[in-house]
Amino acid sequence: MTDDLTPRPPELPDDEALALDYALGALDREARLAAQLRLARDPAFRAEVEGWQATLAPLDDEITGVAPPASLWDRIAAETMPSGAPRFVAAAPARPSLWSSLGLWRGLAMASVAAVAVLLAVRPAPEPQAQLLVATLASDKGAALLTATYDASRGAVILTPAGKAQADGRTPELWVIEGDNPPRSLGTIDIDAPESHTIPAERLKGLKPGSTLAISLEPAGGSKTGAPTGPVVATGKLTGI
Amino acid sequence: MSGAANLVAWLNLAAAGDAPAFRSLYDATSAKLFGIILRILHERGEAEDVLQEVYTTVWRKAAEFDASRASPVTWMATIARNRAIDRLRSRASRPSSPLEAAADVRDERATAEDLMVAGDEARRVTAALAQLDTRHAAAIRSTYFEGLTYEALAEREGVPVGTLKSWVRRGLIRMKGELSA
Repeated sequence: MTDDLTPRPPELPDDEALALDYALGALDREARLAAQLRLARDPAFRAEVEGWQATLAPLDDEITGVAPPASLWDRIAAETMPSGAPRFVAAAPARPSLWSSLGLWRGLAMASVAAVAVLLAVRPAPEPQAQLLVATLASDKGAALLTATYDASRGAVILTPAGKAQADGRTPELWVIEGDNPPRSLGTIDIDAPESHTIPAERLKGLKPGSTLAISLEPAGGSKTGAPTGPVVATGKLTGI
Repeated sequence: MSGAANLVAWLNLAAAGDAPAFRSLYDATSAKLFGIILRILHERGEAEDVLQEVYTTVWRKAAEFDASRASPVTWMATIARNRAIDRLRSRASRPSSPLEAAADVRDERATAEDLMVAGDEARRVTAALAQLDTRHAAAIRSTYFEGLTYEALAEREGVPVGTLKSWVRRGLIRMKGELSA
């Protein structure tokens, strides 16, 4: 087919056509490579491509899933996690005795809040040797509710909801327990909101491996007493990586 | 909603090196990604190689995932699609028989069953595509699902490349307009 005399649609500038063509996957090898090089250094072009990718992505639902062979996971695991060099230390569950002694574990309405996973990474950007801290907060069953990641550019921890919690009008509040000290509030959070939440860096000062994180359900606006007063729905211990 | 939220949590944990979270992510998404890759490459062994590359990439780049720019599924599916197309383009020539082409064409129509399991967004996109000229919609589906170049599809459909580009681009812009209306 050599007849290529039909003009481009006049309403679409070249750049936008290229972004569309790339997102759709219709470019030949050379044009595709050129577009990929451009993606790496042109944020406006990248945004245009990502817009089309998001528009087209729902079509993927029409593709029937195909389970890969079980051996494929072994190949991936061997490549990403060579044995003898685990990159991750699973966070230990919080000591129940600690919370029992605080009288917070009794009468918890656990059915509505199945589990909370919090990843708390504290790593000041200018220090390459700075410690990375991770906590997995969980109750005994169900899906993750919340994740948190450290954004070096903003100097803060971002909590991202990962599930649906029924707070019944109460306000979830995040706590840290350092050693034998009483729980210290890291502020209230909104587990249900689709947006990320940010905890200012100054509140995170002094977080150490071994400290316990917890989420309790408090009256609107958070605990008035400075200590957890409502049911604790998830806890976990900070672990250095 | 909790499905996508779980994926975000697992991706964030994988970024910190959490192997169990990465496994959960794999279990929840690998069939979908493998389906996308197989649709483009057809050849199973090659598709498995690409799937391995994709998850290795996801593991290494998990920290780059930005929930404000893409959903986790879209981010991962885009990596899969791009790797598969890169592999397809690096082939000297793509084996293609009339029989295979005929099967592909038949596949491009969403079945009622597909639409039942598809999410709301997918139904909206399918509905928007249904507003287009049938041939234009089919051209969009073929390029997207099969990773065909405009040139390859134009040859298969027996239309000039410029005409095909025009169908696809105009069609997609109309589709986007329908979606944002």
